[in-house]
Amino acid sequence: MNAPVETMSVQAQRLQDQINTASARVAPTWPLDEFIAVNPYWGWVKQPIAQASAALGVIAGTRLTMPRTWYAEQYRAGQLERCHLHAAVLRSRQEVGATDLGTTDLSTAGRPSEAGVDEQVEHLVNILGDANAALPRLALVTDLRDQASAPRPGLSWSELVTHQVSQHCAAYFDRHQAAWRLNTTQGLYGSWLHHLEADHGLPWRLGRAALRARLAQLPGEPVALIAEALESLEIPQSGRDAYLSALLSAIGGWSAWCSFERWQARLHGTADDSIEHLLAIRLAWEWLLKEDASPGELPSGWASQWSGVPQRVAALQESQRTDWLLQNAIEIAFQQTLVDGLGGTSVDAGLANTGVQAFFCIDVRSEVFRRALESASPEIRTHGFAGFFGLPIAYSPLGSALTRPQLPGLLAPAQCVTERVEANLAEVLGARRRNALQWRQRWSEFRSSPSSGFSFVESMGLMYGAKLFADSVASTKAPARWENEGLPQHGAESLRPCLPLATDDPEAAATLAKGILCAMGLQTGFAPLVLLVGHGSRSANNPHSAGLDCGACGGQTGEVNARVLADLLNTPRVRTHLRTLGIDVPDRTHFLAALHNTTTDETTLFDTHAVPSHLHEMLAQLTGWLDRAGAMARAERADSLGLGELVNQEAELKTAVLQRANHWAEVRPEWGLVNNAAFVVAPRARTRHLKLSGRCFLHDYAEEDDTDLSVLTLIMTAPMVVTNWINMQYHASTVDNRRYGSGNKVLHNVVGGRLGVFEGNGGDLRIGLPIQSLHDGHRLHHTPLRLSVFIEASRTAIETVMSRHEVVQDLVNNGWLHLLRLDPQSHRVEHYGHMSWKNFPLSSETNKWASMER
Amino acid sequence: MALAVLSLLVVLSDSSSANLAVRADPLGAVVSLLVFFVGWVIVRFSQPYLKGERGEGHYVRWMLATLATVGLVLSANHVLLLALAWTATSFALHRLLTFYSDRSAAVVAAHKKAIVARAADVCMFGAVALFYAAFGTLQIDHIMRLVAEAQQVPLAAQAAVLLVVCAALMKCAQLPFHGWLIQVMEAPTPVSALLHAGVVNLGGFVLMRFAPLVSDVPAAQVLLVVAGATTAVVAALVMTTRISVKVMLAWSTCAQMGFMLIQCGLGVWEMALLHLVAHSLYKAHSFLGAGGAVRRASLEKLTPRGAPPSLSGLAVGVLIGAAMTACAGWASTWLPWAPVATPTLAMWVLVSIVSIALVPLVHAQSLQLGGGWLPALGLGAFGVALVYFGLHGLLAAWFPAPAVEPSVTHLMLCGWVALAFAALFILQSIVALSPAGALARRLYPWFYGGLFLDEKFNQLAFGWFPPPKPPAATSVLPTPGVSQGART
Repeated sequence: MNAPVETMSVQAQRLQDQINTASARVAPTWPLDEFIAVNPYWGWVKQPIAQASAALGVIAGTRLTMPRTWYAEQYRAGQLERCHLHAAVLRSRQEVGATDLGTTDLSTAGRPSEAGVDEQVEHLVNILGDANAALPRLALVTDLRDQASAPRPGLSWSELVTHQVSQHCAAYFDRHQAAWRLNTTQGLYGSWLHHLEADHGLPWRLGRAALRARLAQLPGEPVALIAEALESLEIPQSGRDAYLSALLSAIGGWSAWCSFERWQARLHGTADDSIEHLLAIRLAWEWLLKEDASPGELPSGWASQWSGVPQRVAALQESQRTDWLLQNAIEIAFQQTLVDGLGGTSVDAGLANTGVQAFFCIDVRSEVFRRALESASPEIRTHGFAGFFGLPIAYSPLGSALTRPQLPGLLAPAQCVTERVEANLAEVLGARRRNALQWRQRWSEFRSSPSSGFSFVESMGLMYGAKLFADSVASTKAPARWENEGLPQHGAESLRPCLPLATDDPEAAATLAKGILCAMGLQTGFAPLVLLVGHGSRSANNPHSAGLDCGACGGQTGEVNARVLADLLNTPRVRTHLRTLGIDVPDRTHFLAALHNTTTDETTLFDTHAVPSHLHEMLAQLTGWLDRAGAMARAERADSLGLGELVNQEAELKTAVLQRANHWAEVRPEWGLVNNAAFVVAPRARTRHLKLSGRCFLHDYAEEDDTDLSVLTLIMTAPMVVTNWINMQYHASTVDNRRYGSGNKVLHNVVGGRLGVFEGNGGDLRIGLPIQSLHDGHRLHHTPLRLSVFIEASRTAIETVMSRHEVVQDLVNNGWLHLLRLDPQSHRVEHYGHMSWKNFPLSSETNKWASMER
Repeated sequence: MALAVLSLLVVLSDSSSANLAVRADPLGAVVSLLVFFVGWVIVRFSQPYLKGERGEGHYVRWMLATLATVGLVLSANHVLLLALAWTATSFALHRLLTFYSDRSAAVVAAHKKAIVARAADVCMFGAVALFYAAFGTLQIDHIMRLVAEAQQVPLAAQAAVLLVVCAALMKCAQLPFHGWLIQVMEAPTPVSALLHAGVVNLGGFVLMRFAPLVSDVPAAQVLLVVAGATTAVVAALVMTTRISVKVMLAWSTCAQMGFMLIQCGLGVWEMALLHLVAHSLYKAHSFLGAGGAVRRASLEKLTPRGAPPSLSGLAVGVLIGAAMTACAGWASTWLPWAPVATPTLAMWVLVSIVSIALVPLVHAQSLQLGGGWLPALGLGAFGVALVYFGLHGLLAAWFPAPAVEPSVTHLMLCGWVALAFAALFILQSIVALSPAGALARRLYPWFYGGLFLDEKFNQLAFGWFPPPKPPAATSVLPTPGVSQGART
């Protein structure tokens, strides 16, 4: 008999594959000072969402849909109606028997297969509000030991292990909080072994001596540990990737952090294996706890459950079908409102000459402000574009040690931007700032070093009484830009962030500029004043403030990007080269950078001294329009901020909004991107008449200008992915805040200055959004809907881009977003599903049909 | 607030006002003013912070109740009333610590605090009985008068003072009773601020109330100084290993309380009072502003790295620090309020600590700063020291403390403190100079684990008094339930 003998290398390769599968399922989380939104299910998008949801249910005990009681509430409130359930059932049937390509009309062609649809709808209505069945998460050793005993009263093994691993990871990755740090030369896993050996506080049944002897035998390399432990725990081969995934999800926050380390390394062309170290640590705990358990504490044959993962997932997926029907139905309900609006008249004519073109970030918060600005003057056209304005830059403030990315987390910066000043002034300012920052650092060491803290308190402590008073008094004063810390005020004002390329190599700069202008759809028809509006937020004492800034700019304000692009496009030599590249920017046209504050709806204009004189009058007008628009936008948002009673008192409302933004105890400075639900890729004319209530990302796109589909490709591979990340961050933080959200803000405890937060003393690192960003204590402000992407383009254009890009196929075909198409001619909407387009009827049509039915 | 203003008015109009139950004096008035100012800030802070939380009303009620009981402690002129009010403070605070009663960590930490607080209460009520046995009265001003007249403090009273000191050590979260203070971050931030700024330091206040008695009981001084200095040094080092902002602040409080108790034990009462007030303000601000940690880290990223510290650099720092302190001490004699003419031995020790404290400002690395910054640093250090002397002079004039009789015990206690702080400075310097060295690496796990004292405390305390089980967790957002049946 020749039993197949596996060589060592085959075994090793298989193990590495299992480790890679498990680690690839973990989405990264960004640090608090660059807090951009991430789709926490990003590692699962290769699977259909319903399947991923079932797998996550079995492995991690999470759910991707709301509890049924929530759908029942929506039904009672009229947000969800029978017709939506009906449409969802029909869509699901196409899923089962989808073989026909091409168009079928829901309202007519779908009818023959409608047998039993009404019964199914009736069934859905009946089960609305039932309690969800509990998720059959598979037990880890920690769970099994928890069922038998607790290590200490009031503490479970799972909590103890999470706490120990979490504290160690924090000590390992911290660079800003502790002054006396863990020695990291041995790597995450090696230092953990060392740390555990020296820990006298853990309740080992067999005693510390036994543990130390055991630790001495453990492999020193993480992968070797994983191999040995899996063998020793007798985890069946077929269940190993699931088991490893379950271990990583048990310490999900730090897994996400390690995944970020890997993401960053890969962006810069290097490698990082800290996630393998983390996996080894968590697995070592399982192993040690199994060996330390009293006899009989663990059920024999425990490990064999892991071979049954696929069956369990299939069973759970079947039982979750209803939940996905309900989720689809509520999404159809939302899509219907937008379909009805988009199918209505589109306003293009009747506008005055364009005086100002204003480019805003696609961010949903821009929609409210753009609508207000358009209503302030018919001379303004607004457009939507990614808020980093396509600039692949990092920013390094003059005279500082900081360099930070100013672009989406998917990309690595290619250029570094710093401030431009006259040569000698740069030196003077730089030196001054370095000294001022050093002095600050000295003072903070005086405050915090162990032998100084006592005398610091006695000599300087009373001063904090004045600080307490000052912080308790309401203020409307705009805080200084922190990046200017250490610069004298007049010096800071004279600084201007610029791309060195604009002056060093105008030709290359022009090529960059051309790419950006084409993506913006701005090759001809330049208005005299082109406004580039970035956005940022204002909040005080808020660890998650970067999450309210521009995600496309890497969780920073868009100021630097807007100013750099304006400067680039105003540079005469760049314009000369642009002309040779076929883009003629008229000499009369000036680009002006601006920053929209999404918390206060104020707009700051930058470098206005450079505006040519013939535009001064227009600039004055523009300032007035921006103020007007700000007041209108504030009025629109007032109610959600609890300032509804001030809605008609413009000045008082502004004061109240400014005071809120500055208040150090304000946990809801603004609502961010809450309730986002759609991404509309179409000319503004299509949406200009609609009040979209800040729920839509808006990107301009004109198919006729995009013959090679490069712009559509860019939109579907970059902004569409980013909007999916944002949408799924809000979704996940809402449906399972314990796992994918950061819990209660009033308990937040910043870890390592920027790594993330703990909720309370410790526990796992918390990722995602705090409860206060989603809920006001009385009602949920975010409705968890998957993103509906509406693109105005031909079928072939969209299908071509899809066929070329796997990531787009994954997102669309696996149901991580909805793809809908606006027909450029007929303005009808089609929904893409299962390789075909289905007409999405207007509600007037379905109602007609429904009444005919009756 | 009104109470504080009222008591201040009473003080100003008639400084000897006292009746059976309450009294108004400079000490009570200053601390009351402090607590009610901090209380005002915290209540204002809480309003937007906790908006929409379930149990907002419950929160406000118990916050005000805690403040009221603290007010009673501060104005009591009766030992029993003081003990009862102190106990009541801990019960009211318990309601705030368990504001999220479904968080098991919150319940466990509050339970641990309750165990320590009850032990402290036993000490306090024991002291009440002994005071009555010794003096036949429980009115504090009567007792003090009797103490002043008596040649020797009765044995029962000495025992009572020892018990008061024990209660203070426990309620000031000194090692090994510190665990609860570190772990109560499970309550909303303003509760932490209130606890660290207005409640934990009551132990120091009570000792100040009994200052003349403590000054007459050497055993009490030994207990205070030994426990306080140990805690101050250990907790200060543990603090530097913490990785989250709030836990770092909690260890800092633990250390600062130790320092305050040292000052009580050394009889430098005016500095203990200054410490109590200044620390409250500082810590309240630090907790409420803890969310700014991310901004502070960003500013740190902005700052170019200086050269690593060197031995000679530190030595220069110590010299300049001492010189600046000496200059400031000399300059302070010109202040209109005359500081103490002949500094006591204890003051010398404290001033030495100040001169070491100035090292981060003036060590040689700092002096690499160019241009006008060099004198500015020296001037800064001088200024800090001058403020220190100035405040000391002010308080010494305004809050006359019982004079310390020079004794062997006192001498040894001063030596102990000096040694402890020298050890602290040396250890801290070794860690800074060679963070990867053998000593730093060997000691790190011990300090990172807080010397594992709290785990031992848990084993003992929870063995006798296991914590209650919290109810099932609830949330305004969905919480997917996991079945327990998923087993072979």
